[in-house]
Parts: sequence; structure tokens; C-alpha cells
Amino acid sequence: MKGILKSMATTLSTFARKPVTREYPETHKELPERDRAFPVLLWDKEVHEPFCTGCHACERACPVECMTVLMKDNPAHKSVGGESSRRKIIDKFWIDYGRCMRCNICVEVCNFDAITMNNTWEGHEKSVYDRADLVQDLPMLLSEHRSGELKPWVNE
Amino acid sequence: MTNALQPNSNHEFEVQDIMINMGPQHPATHGVFRMVLAVDGEIVRDLIPHIGYMHRGAEKLSETMDFRQGIGFMDRTEYLAQFNAELAYVMAVEKLMDIEVPERAQWIRMILCELNRLSSHFMFTGAFGADAGVFGTSFIYAFRWREEILDLFEEITGDRLMYAYFRPGGLAWEVTDNFVERVHQVLALSRQGIKDVDGLVTNNEIFKARTQGVGVLTKEQAIDWGTTGPVLRASGVAMDVRRDEPYLFYDQVEFDIPVGQNGDVYDRWCLRIEEMRQSVRIVEQCLTKLQPGPIQPERMPRMLRTPPGEVYIRTEAPRGEFGIYMVSKGGNRPHRLKVRSSCFANLQSLRDMSIGQYVADAVLALGSMDIVLCEVDR
Amino acid sequence: MSTLFGLPVALDALIRVLIIVGVMTVVVMGLIYIERKVLARFQQRLGPTRTGPMGLLQSVADALKLVAKEDVRPTNADPWVFELAPFLVFVPTFLGFVVVPFALAWSVRDLDLGLFYILAVSSVNIIGWVMAGWASDNRYAMLGALRAVAQSISYELPLVMALIAVAMVADSLNISEIVRGQAVVPNIVWQPLPFLMFFICMLAEMNRPPFDIPVGESEVVGGPYVEYSGIRWSMFFLAEYASMFIMALLGAAVFLGGSAWPLGEQLGLPWQILLTVVKAGAIIFVVIWTRASFPRLRIDQLMSFSWKLLLPVSFAQIMVNGLILVYDLPYGMSHTLLAVCSAAGVLFVASAINRSVTRPRPRPVLISRSEAAR
Repeated sequence: MKGILKSMATTLSTFARKPVTREYPETHKELPERDRAFPVLLWDKEVHEPFCTGCHACERACPVECMTVLMKDNPAHKSVGGESSRRKIIDKFWIDYGRCMRCNICVEVCNFDAITMNNTWEGHEKSVYDRADLVQDLPMLLSEHRSGELKPWVNE
Repeated sequence: MTNALQPNSNHEFEVQDIMINMGPQHPATHGVFRMVLAVDGEIVRDLIPHIGYMHRGAEKLSETMDFRQGIGFMDRTEYLAQFNAELAYVMAVEKLMDIEVPERAQWIRMILCELNRLSSHFMFTGAFGADAGVFGTSFIYAFRWREEILDLFEEITGDRLMYAYFRPGGLAWEVTDNFVERVHQVLALSRQGIKDVDGLVTNNEIFKARTQGVGVLTKEQAIDWGTTGPVLRASGVAMDVRRDEPYLFYDQVEFDIPVGQNGDVYDRWCLRIEEMRQSVRIVEQCLTKLQPGPIQPERMPRMLRTPPGEVYIRTEAPRGEFGIYMVSKGGNRPHRLKVRSSCFANLQSLRDMSIGQYVADAVLALGSMDIVLCEVDR
Repeated sequence: MSTLFGLPVALDALIRVLIIVGVMTVVVMGLIYIERKVLARFQQRLGPTRTGPMGLLQSVADALKLVAKEDVRPTNADPWVFELAPFLVFVPTFLGFVVVPFALAWSVRDLDLGLFYILAVSSVNIIGWVMAGWASDNRYAMLGALRAVAQSISYELPLVMALIAVAMVADSLNISEIVRGQAVVPNIVWQPLPFLMFFICMLAEMNRPPFDIPVGESEVVGGPYVEYSGIRWSMFFLAEYASMFIMALLGAAVFLGGSAWPLGEQLGLPWQILLTVVKAGAIIFVVIWTRASFPRLRIDQLMSFSWKLLLPVSFAQIMVNGLILVYDLPYGMSHTLLAVCSAAGVLFVASAINRSVTRPRPRPVLISRSEAAR
């Protein structure tokens, strides 16, 4: 009989505690700094262009081949009258969020610190009605950092 | 195996057993697992398991991944003890390449693996309590306490379930600054959680009546089927890879290995609760021995290339002995990766456990083995 | 038999019927909501919060959903039996409402055989289950129905015996009389064992955990109700909650003093209603508490518990009661004897439960890591 009473005592002690339910979507949990949602590209504010030069390193390293990268000659390079020191710049970039497995390898291999994982709630809330809408193109990938919302975590 | 399905002509009437199919979708089968039971009234006469519903070709895919890309796949092979799976994989690479892992990385790996054992056993208590019929309460308790551990993992690695944090040679990045305090916090909460779950279920007379003497696996049967982990230890065999072939720094910490005497479902429950307590003990000792230092060896090549060779690494996952057999022919990918899955071997003993018992007990026996279908099917 | 406000008998009966239907519907829907909220609190979470303020309209939303569902019927189902089965489960529980007292003079009908009536009427739902299982033309529904019936019949007997024991002490089968007789001391003090048995049997009658094998969610199928959908299924469901309410009221009235203890007669009507509601609420709280805490009993364990333990003990209780009451002892002595014997019975049941599962068995040993391997 003692075991039964002990079970009931345990449930009663839980009854007295405060519920731990968080009512989403009105309240959101505070995401830690290192949270890994989907990858986004970073914007260089000084020269007004992406950091990404289209070197294909992340595309090759991706285990699930979710990226497509095209590079072009940078029209804003110093040799043609601009301010940037990047000879090549990204032309088109697609990431299929439906294939991405968020393994962080693209961030690790990038030589230019041009890609990072989105650590905000917008990175997680990516529900769509059609799977094709999960493919993100270059303006969509740049918008988070460009608008200033993103504070990416940098691994020293 | 098909004898049970023949008509039994010893009786006056012809008696044939009914086949009950507990299909791939069922609240009690812990994932997509199908068992066909041949029952005589309520007694199980034969059990035919069908697996393979979750086969995704993980081993074959790993042959196309280099040694950093494949770590994410190991996570998904065993999704409740991910650090353990990653650990086996990176240990195999380290052994092939003869890499020396820095001390700090080993201690942190040990802490994370034991915390992962805690969270996996919490999940077991939840799921098994739900099987036994404690309407949801043990399930909710288990997940509430497991959340604390997962929150800690999210702070360190960035992800709640698929970490991809270990690398051959050490860790991918340094842990957070408040790591030690956070782990102490999580341990305190886990102690409260173990107390809750223990108090709710273990001494409950109804639970004892349901689980004692049910799903018995004798010592000889357990060894014959190749079971490992809590299933084997509950049957009386004191075998634990952490003690017999210590990896990481398990030979430098003190812990106990619970060994059951009866081999039934109740013993497996008590064993896992005790293992949770021992995990807390191990993590506390590791925290005292953690020193600042590097987490990767000094000269690590950008692209890892292993010399030709083969290696078998075994680790003590929460479910048993998780082993990786890796064959390399030079190059940056494994030529063959074979996962020795603990649940696959344990699942074979389900038939011996369930024959002669009631149908409801077969469900409990399955739950007590704590299978993860991803690991069985890979 | 006086009528309300001196109205003609037929109109008076109609009004009483409408009172029953109205009160019971509201109460049952409220009870479903309360159960979900309280059960959630036992699990450290909130219950329904979104439908209406604090989730109060959740039952209404559920009812609307069930009413709007398609009325599916198996092709080979026996049409009349299939139709009538939910009614046979649903109506008798409502009939039980007739005799339960809310206040000292406030029951729908004050029958002299009140206790007998309520026990008789609440066992009619067994036939409803058999009809449901049979008419469903489904092997598993029949099995589930037979299990439910076996469980119900097994636990009916100790329930009846427990209430008879109390009726012996109170010397009447009229529930209002029993309540009035508890003006000084509630019956639970004299007869704790019948209360324990009443509580356990009440759980079994209502198919509540830990006796919910017939409606077990993780068992093979969902019991006798598996082929019913929509409003027919909701009738079974509501019958369970209605009988929980009725039994809680009955338990409060017969064992806990109902509206008469502590100071019912003196303090008037609102206090009496409050007492009844609080006591019934306490019983319902404990019922939900047991649901949150216990695993399910297997069908053979359930049956042996009833036939081998509860029934002999209940017979023993009646015999002891009879022995004590047949000699006209003074009030103090007879009632103290009753209380002592009954308490001894409770201890006996507790120790029997202990002994049945805690056979000495070797406990797990802890082997230290530093011991030599094998």
C-alpha cells in the first residue's frame, strides 16, 4: 500500500508546482546565442555588398547538396572604379531549406566568414504550404543580416 | 517457429491460434515496428517481428560522406543517444589515424555522453510508463525533465537533438563560459526528476504487479541472443563496456554498475533508474577534473585522410553496446561503415521474452527493451 | 408526495425531468473541463486555454465536433441493437440522479428505497455494453465488451455489500435518512472499510484508471465503443462522467455526511448545498488524482482482486456489523466496536495488497567499476 500512497504523494507535490507550459506563439523561449536554424548570408556594410565571393567551398562541403552557387566578376572592384577588394562576387545563390540538415559545415569551411546560421526565431519559423517555397534565393538570404535583425555568433 | 500455427490435433476439437497484428502504426510499438502475435486466447504462442520500415541506407550513404559530413548521419542513426553514436564514429577515425585527443576534449565528451544517457533514460521512463498505463503522467514528467538537459545542449551546440558536435580529434568548438555552473544546475534538476519518476512508479504496487515476473530472460538466453546493455545486466551478467574496455576516461572515475537478478521487466526499470543516478555521479566527478586547455590537437589537416585499415570500436550506449566497424582504403571516406546496433541484437530476444505470457505483457516486454527503430533499421 | 408549488402531478413530473436533464448536461460538460484542467495540473502543465476564456468553452467545442461527425454504422451491424445500446448505457445513469440529495430536503424524489433504487438502476448499463459489443460485428469489440461486463459484474458485488453495511449502521435505505443520521458524526468514522471499497468499486464501475482495461488506449483496440462515432460515442462518454458525478454525490451523502455535517440543519440551505458540492468535489478530485498516478491493472489481476479480496472482506464486514448490531448495545459502545473492526479491515486489505506483490525477491546489486571484470 505504501507504494500507492507514494505515487499519489508525488503527483500531489507536482500539483503544487507552477505549470511549465510556455504558450507559443504568444511567448517565445529565449534562444541561446549559438542556436542553429538555417544558414543565411552576411552583408558587408562598409562596401554595401555580400561577403560571399561565390567560391563554392560550402557547396562542395555540404553533405546533402542543398546549395547552388554562381559567381561573377565584381562590378564594384577597385580595378573598375569601385571600393571593394573582392575580385569576384556572388551572382546567384540558392539554398534549399528543405534539404538542409543544419550541420554547420558550410559555416566552418567558409574562407570569408560570409555564411552563418540564423539564430533568431525567424530562422525556425519557416512553414510554407508548398515545398518549393522553401528554396531561398540571394535577396532572401541576405535580408536578415541586411536589416540588422541578426546578431550572428562568431566562433573564435 | 511455425509449429505454433499448425492445428493442434491433441484436443478433441481442432484448435488454431489467432494471429494478431500489432501493426507499424500503433501507440505501443515505439516507432514503426510490426509484430505478428500468434495467440491462444490471451497467451502468446509465437511472435514474428517485422522490421525495416525505417531503413534509410545510412551505412551506404556514409560511404559517400567524408569524415566530417558523416557525423550528422550518426546523429540520425541513434536519435536518443546521439553523442554516443558520434563518439563511436570519431573514435574509429581517431584510431585509424592515430590521433591523440586533448584531455579537456575527452572530459567534455564524457560529460556530454553521460548527460545524454540521462536524457535517453528519462525518455525510457516516460515511454514505458505510458505503455504500462500511467496515463501520460510519467511521459510528461520525463519530457519536462529532459527539456532541461536539451536546453543545456542547445546552449552548447546550437541544436536540441542533432548535435554534430564531435569531430575527429576533439570537439567542433569550445563550450560556453558558464558550462560548469550550467551542468551543476542541470544535475540538480535531474536529481529532482529522478526522484519524481522513481516516486511515481517504482514502488507502486500496481506497477509491480504488472511488471514482476513478466518478460523474463534467463542468463543463458540473454547471452545466446547477443543482448547487451540493461537487458543483459538485468539477467544477471555483469558486462559493461565502460568497465571491461574503458574508453574516454572511464577508468579514472568511480561508479557502480547495477546488475539485476531476476531478468524481468521490473529489474530493467530499476536498473535504468539506478544507471541514471550513477550517470549523475560520473558527471560530478568529471566536472571536478575539467581543466582549461585545447579542444583539438595542434596540427589537424583540413581534409582528413585515413591510412588503409579497419577498426572496430565499441561503446556503452544507453541501450547496449553500440559498435562501429570501419574499413578504410585510404582517402577521405570510409570504404565500409557497419554499425553494430545494440537494439537490433536486443530485439531478437523479444520472442523468448514473450512466449507463454499475455498479450499485454508482450507489449510491456517490448517497451522494456527500449528500442530505437532508427538504430535497428539504420 | 407533495408537488412543486402545488402544480398538477404530470406538470410537476415534467419539471423535475427537465431539471435533471438540464443540470446533468451542464454538470457533465463542466466535469469534463474540470478533469482536463486538474489532470493537467498534476502533470505540471496547463489544460485547455484557447477555446474561450481560460478554455471554458472546450467542452462546447468538443460537443459541437462530435455532433457534426458522420454517423458511421458497420454494414452487418444489428440495426436495432446498435441504435439502442448507447441509450441503455446513458439513460440509467441519469435515472440515478433522481434520489441523490443536494440539501436536506432537496432531492428530485425522496424514495424510501433510495439506495436500492440507485444500485439497481446503475447496473443496467452492463446490458448496454453487451449490446454495443455484440451489435458492432467486430471481434475486438465483443472481446472488449465482455471484459467490461466481467469487470463490472465483479465489482458490483462488493459495491452493493459496502453500501448494505452502511445501511445496516444507519438503519435505513432512504438516502435522506442516512444523511440526517450523520448530523453529528459522518459515517466514514464508523465504517472506513466500506468507504474504501465503495471508492475502489466506483472506479471499476466507471471504467476509470486503474481499471480502464475496456477503454485502454494502448491496448489492442478501444473496447466496446470502437465502432461508434460522433454523437453515439459521446453518449457513452457522457455516461461515464455522469455516473462519476452521481457516484461522487452518493458517496458524499452516504459516507461523508452530505449536507448534514458539520452544521447542516442549523445553517440553512446555501450552507448545505455548499457542503454537498465541496464533498462531492473532494471525491472527484481524488478520482482524478488516482487517474494521474496509477498504471493499469491487467484483467486477470483485476478479477482476482475483486473476487479473492474485496468480496470476502465485504462479506466479513457485513457479518461483523450484524453481530455487533444485533445486541442492543449502547450507542457509544456499539459504534466504537464498529469503527475498530472496520479499521482493522482496512489494515487487512492494505497488508494483503502489500503481500501479494512484495514477495521477497533479490534486488539489483551494485558492482563497483574497479572490481575486476568477469
